[in-house]
Amino acid sequence: MPLSLTEVLETVQMTEADAFDIRTVTLGISLRGCQSRDPESTRQNVYDRITRVAEHHVAAAQEVERTYGIRIANKRVSITPASLVADGFSPADFVRLAETLDRAAAEVGVDYIAGFTALVEKGMTPGDAALIEALPEALATTQRVCSSVACGSTKAGINADAVLTVARAIKGMAAQTADRDSIACAKFVAFCNAVGDNPFVAGAFHGPSEPGAALNVGISGPGVVLRAIEALGDTADFGAVTDAIKTMAFKITRAGELVGRRVAETLSRRGERVPFGVVDISLAPTPADRDSVGDVLRAMGLANPGAPGTTAALAMLNEAVKRGGLMAARHVGGLSGAFMPVSEDQAMIEAAASGDLTLEKLEAMSAICSVGLDMVAIPGDTSAETIAGILFDEFAIGMVNDKTTAVRLLPVAGKGVGEWVDYGGLLGRAPVMPVSGVANGVFARRGGRIPAPIRSLTN
Amino acid sequence: MPADVRALIDRIASALGSEATPERVERVARAVLDASERPAAQPAPVSHAVAPAPTGGASRVVVTAYGHDRPGVLAAVTAELSAAGANILDVSQKVLQGYFTLVLVADLPAGMDLSAARDGLQARGEALGARVLLQHEDLFQAMHRP
Repeated sequence: MPLSLTEVLETVQMTEADAFDIRTVTLGISLRGCQSRDPESTRQNVYDRITRVAEHHVAAAQEVERTYGIRIANKRVSITPASLVADGFSPADFVRLAETLDRAAAEVGVDYIAGFTALVEKGMTPGDAALIEALPEALATTQRVCSSVACGSTKAGINADAVLTVARAIKGMAAQTADRDSIACAKFVAFCNAVGDNPFVAGAFHGPSEPGAALNVGISGPGVVLRAIEALGDTADFGAVTDAIKTMAFKITRAGELVGRRVAETLSRRGERVPFGVVDISLAPTPADRDSVGDVLRAMGLANPGAPGTTAALAMLNEAVKRGGLMAARHVGGLSGAFMPVSEDQAMIEAAASGDLTLEKLEAMSAICSVGLDMVAIPGDTSAETIAGILFDEFAIGMVNDKTTAVRLLPVAGKGVGEWVDYGGLLGRAPVMPVSGVANGVFARRGGRIPAPIRSLTN
Repeated sequence: MPADVRALIDRIASALGSEATPERVERVARAVLDASERPAAQPAPVSHAVAPAPTGGASRVVVTAYGHDRPGVLAAVTAELSAAGANILDVSQKVLQGYFTLVLVADLPAGMDLSAARDGLQARGEALGARVLLQHEDLFQAMHRP
């Protein structure tokens, strides 16, 4: 059936007026087999493998952008968690490994390389501990390296020793990049229930059960959903709103799958075979006008994100996106939900600045969205124990609800409540938000492991 | 003559009414029978979530132009496509309150660089104050014809 004028114009409007683009095509690369007896040859193996597999990644993505006239905002690489490849390294060796990853990323021209990662849900090996110890220096001295540590899961419980260690590492990252608004913290995520096919940074890594390489895609379409809801007016009921979101989610997911498959095919024609992996159907916002999840919540009828009803609105948005996206793609994966990074979403920035959106409300919202506290600036003098407490709370939500929760906190060195941090680009800007100062030191320092919940016993 | 063919001829003659002549009925019937003898389009294989990638054949593209209405935009776009060797398959244009929207479907010659075609069209369009896009048809098919 030929395309109708209306259909053509709807797609054109999405890309021209609604800021619809592909947020990322992320090439996952397995580094298993790169480990050698000494750190130097391991780093060389890692560099050679990444630059060989990803050699044509950016060119392939650009070719697809030209063919379909649809922007791909970021081209990224994710790797096998570095602690698995380099277990036995010293912290200094891990810093040098991060520098090697940075060089490889620059060589192939990607925006980010993610997977400087340790999976320590149940316990830490010496290599895991060395990687975490290396984090402040590794992220301060590199540009494109992103890192994550998985501290808990529904199956394993929460590794409390890791949580406090990670909280101290976050403070270290902030201190080492104090002259740049603690930007190292923006390149690090702590997880509960981390996933191995997530294309989004900072938390992407190529999971141990992934194939040798895979191409995963993440879409960005809050503007498209916003227009669909606005078109309904203020009197449409929740069923009609759900249908409108679902329909749009279906269409943008189809576009995402098409782009992802074509990039994988183009890569395979030029070099090593790369299968298409998944579409992550998260609606990723940007600081650009109308490209905002917060604006979607406003269009539903809330004066600002943070108003009573915000959690329900976000839950409805999340469910409707999943309904449409699941039907549109063969394999949906990654995080797949609504993102709410405060600094990367104009309406969330405004709501945080006005005080309508608080850390506590964000925590409640994280119970039903795809990640947790994301790109939240907090005072630089927040203690490691308080940061650990925030991590514990988020991870408890993830563990008990069998979902991913993540924390990307920015304890901005030298700044206090009401001051601003501005990273520019996709990372955006945010006001420093207040944090509860009620003491929690004894709890945070108890250590050990919070046991897995009863719902983990599913067999 | 099979009964179904006879029934078809009767229906055509009845539909044509007083304008029915043996030649006209034969012409219509032949067209109907030719169409019915063509192999039916095969449904896309279930394993293909999206259409196969463009191969060495022609690339079907959708060209969209919009902006303030002024003479010559359609002529400029079609002239540029014609110079590129394109075969234009469909054209729609609407003008509303001084703004125009032009949508055009065309086949570009095999192996043609879409970027070069897009750059040429955008330059011609910009000279007339119009924004011109060129996108492979697969994008629209994926979004609207799953």
